[in-house]
Amino acid sequence: MAQSNFDRRRINGPEESFPPTFEDDEGEPSSLGWRLGQPRQGRAASDIRPIFLKAGLITQANGSAYIETQRSKIACAVYGPRQSKSTVYSENGRLNVEVKFAPFSCTRRKVPIRDAEDRSVAVQIHQALLPSIRLELLPKSTIDIFITIIENDGIDGCIAAGSVAASTALADAGIEMLGLVIACSACTIGKEIWLDPNNDEAQASSGTLIYASMPALGTVTNVSQNGRLTPDEAIRCMEACQERCIDIHAVVAEALLENAQQS
Amino acid sequence: MSSDLVLPGQPIPIPRGPIPQLGTGVYAREGAVRASLTGTPRYEGPVGTRPLPRPPAPNSVVLGSITRLSPLQAVLSITVVDGVPLPAGEEFTGVIRVQDVRATEKDKVKIADCFRGGDVVKGLVISLGDARSYYVTTARNDLGVIFATSEAGATMEPVSWQEMRCPKTGKIEKRKCAKPEGL
Repeated sequence: MAQSNFDRRRINGPEESFPPTFEDDEGEPSSLGWRLGQPRQGRAASDIRPIFLKAGLITQANGSAYIETQRSKIACAVYGPRQSKSTVYSENGRLNVEVKFAPFSCTRRKVPIRDAEDRSVAVQIHQALLPSIRLELLPKSTIDIFITIIENDGIDGCIAAGSVAASTALADAGIEMLGLVIACSACTIGKEIWLDPNNDEAQASSGTLIYASMPALGTVTNVSQNGRLTPDEAIRCMEACQERCIDIHAVVAEALLENAQQS
Repeated sequence: MSSDLVLPGQPIPIPRGPIPQLGTGVYAREGAVRASLTGTPRYEGPVGTRPLPRPPAPNSVVLGSITRLSPLQAVLSITVVDGVPLPAGEEFTGVIRVQDVRATEKDKVKIADCFRGGDVVKGLVISLGDARSYYVTTARNDLGVIFATSEAGATMEPVSWQEMRCPKTGKIEKRKCAKPEGL
């Protein structure tokens, strides 16, 4: 028995779990009822899911943000700048990103132990944020970003939304940045490019791409690609994301201004 | 009012003429001055936001309590930087080395005759120090112990720059006292 890594501190769920099956789900290829070649259900190919973003929800954190795009829900808290725990002297500050999935965030239960998936998400968000933060102003200090994925509907969308939430939380925390980081995801379905895919759409696509940028400066901070995309498709994805990032930037700006006026 | 607020990355209009010296919260990139914080830009002083806790930097005045003593140095836990308190649990560690306690007769300084555990000390950060701690000095009249309790547990009052008296027992204990300004 795998008793050695049995977690005694938490209430352990059953060893196996199954996503609930609903009557109207059965007999369909995906919950969308969508087949290759059909146009996108619910929204246009270049549309993203509506975003709800609010800064400053977690009171004990220095800065925080909550983002919700339909069935993706992410909370983000920023602590610091605080003293670095490492023993080496560093002229620049450090950025530390931790991502946690809530046990109920996915269709299958997530064990509350760090696995490879949350680390790779954290690396992506770290990479997207790093060029935006003025770490040269914070010698010997660390900024800690904790991201909790409350509900996960497509990991690409979660990485993009997590980056946006983290950047908003950093601005709320009053950490000096070159600009706000905005990220958007895209996937290719057939010949079309669909922006901000949800889980089912990402599963059906041949490749996905996440694009993070600072629209205020017109610079790209991170691009990552998964699956199969031709160079031409990748460039078209990036162009589509770039355009949409400007719209998301307006949403973030509105949330931050609203928060700044309240405090 | 909302038009006055700027967001990180937003360009700040600068009137014609020489570019002003940039303070905190702004930076110059490709010839344009941009904000790096959310707030209202001002021509004098930094971008106005609520006072934010900052890590100590050289020349910042800090308050902290002594946590550990050794013959060579006193360790203090910095809780206030430039008048802004740090959030609980996010203290920085500072070190007062024996040569940084006072300006004169540095070789005669005994750490035990200058600080005791729990004393609240006002100091000046002289350097970023090593990986673990900031170097703090008290070598100025207005720097040193500002609050201390005696062995009997009463709050002591300073009688000279190196002695404090317990009001309960009348006993005199040695400290490197601060003479705060405006007294």
